[in-house]
Amino acid sequence: MFRLQGSKTLAVDLTGDAVKAKNGSMVAYDGRMTFKKTTGGGEGLRGMVTRRLTGEQMTVMEVSGQGTCYFADRASEISLVALRGDTLHVEASNLLATEAGLRTGTAFTGLRGGASGNGLFTTTVEGTGQAAIMSDGAAVLLRVSPQYPLTVDPGAYVAHQGDLRQHFRSGVNFRTLMGEGSGEAFQIRFEGDGVVYVQPSERNTVGGDV
Amino acid sequence: MPFREINSKMVEAVVAPGQRLFSQRGAMLAYRGEVSFTPNVQGGQGGFASMIGRRAAGEAAPLMTVEGSGTVLFGHGGHHIQVINLAGDMLYVEADRLLAFDGTLRQGTMFMGSQGGVMGMVRGQVTGQGLFTTTLQGHGAVAVMAHGGVIELPVTPGRDVHVDPQAYVAHHGEIRNRLSTAAGWRDMVGRGSGEAFQLELSGSGAVYVQASEEKL
Repeated sequence: MFRLQGSKTLAVDLTGDAVKAKNGSMVAYDGRMTFKKTTGGGEGLRGMVTRRLTGEQMTVMEVSGQGTCYFADRASEISLVALRGDTLHVEASNLLATEAGLRTGTAFTGLRGGASGNGLFTTTVEGTGQAAIMSDGAAVLLRVSPQYPLTVDPGAYVAHQGDLRQHFRSGVNFRTLMGEGSGEAFQIRFEGDGVVYVQPSERNTVGGDV
Repeated sequence: MPFREINSKMVEAVVAPGQRLFSQRGAMLAYRGEVSFTPNVQGGQGGFASMIGRRAAGEAAPLMTVEGSGTVLFGHGGHHIQVINLAGDMLYVEADRLLAFDGTLRQGTMFMGSQGGVMGMVRGQVTGQGLFTTTLQGHGAVAVMAHGGVIELPVTPGRDVHVDPQAYVAHHGEIRNRLSTAAGWRDMVGRGSGEAFQLELSGSGAVYVQASEEKL
């Protein structure tokens, strides 16, 4: 149902069903479509409270109708992620669209969020279906297995999927305090079994400055 | 075809004696051979009257005439470039998106407000495109700039295409465009879906849409 038209435009064929997409990301459509604003980060009253508290309030619209709808946002590269009952963790700013059958929620990320410049919470997508995530530059998919843990820069982290544990690592030492840091003071280490999406660009982070 | 795409952000044009090109001023990146670049005071072709017309319309993009013999590379601001070939039909494009075009194409200014009456007027204001747009007609090629890649969507009778005004780049063919609103009470209370205004294109032809909501 989701397909890519080029690497920066997502085309979604709708036959009376619905998708959730980032507010204002529609660029064109044919057929008939209706756009309705909903809110991301979990359903119901509890979801609303979490969103308000966590700041992970992604504004989402629900698109329904018949025809083809095209989505794009600020010329970001788009990757499609297929979910089969597992959970995708993604920064709210990197999530472009999800099929209506997927549930979105908010999860606490701990220290990592503070260093990745994204706040302390992240968005989770779970269920069965497809999701489209976007990245600044084409995202690379890195596999993590029990023998091969992975360490990524918080500013380049986009999303992860699978059974992964994450640890926050800090490389702050005497040199950093002297202003001689390498710019890689903070890292996230993933262990377990799954995949991590990394973009070839770094957000402005606390870690990048020291 | 005078334009050859080097990569997605650069085009190469061949200039031969007696043939000329118009390009946006400052868009030349490199050239080979004997090529001269003359700033075009009139901002296009068509004599004094159309110059006044363009000035008044605010569609006076600073152009230059490229003449001589050789090859010229064009690119601007790292924007993606789409080459559109015209075979006698008319291309509608914003003046600031024009990178370069064949000298044989006739350039004109079109009052968009006349399409759709009052809504046409509103359209210009809402989309930030103004009330006038540039038209190019004839046989030749045009290089158009866009932020992010461009996709071409065909428009056929009975299959209307709706476009986000900010992502609209250009269109050609026999197309009527109309601003449609989906603004309901939700937009009034600040809970809109961000898609309150759309351009509805109907007729037959093609519309070019960029993968971004950013204006140039």
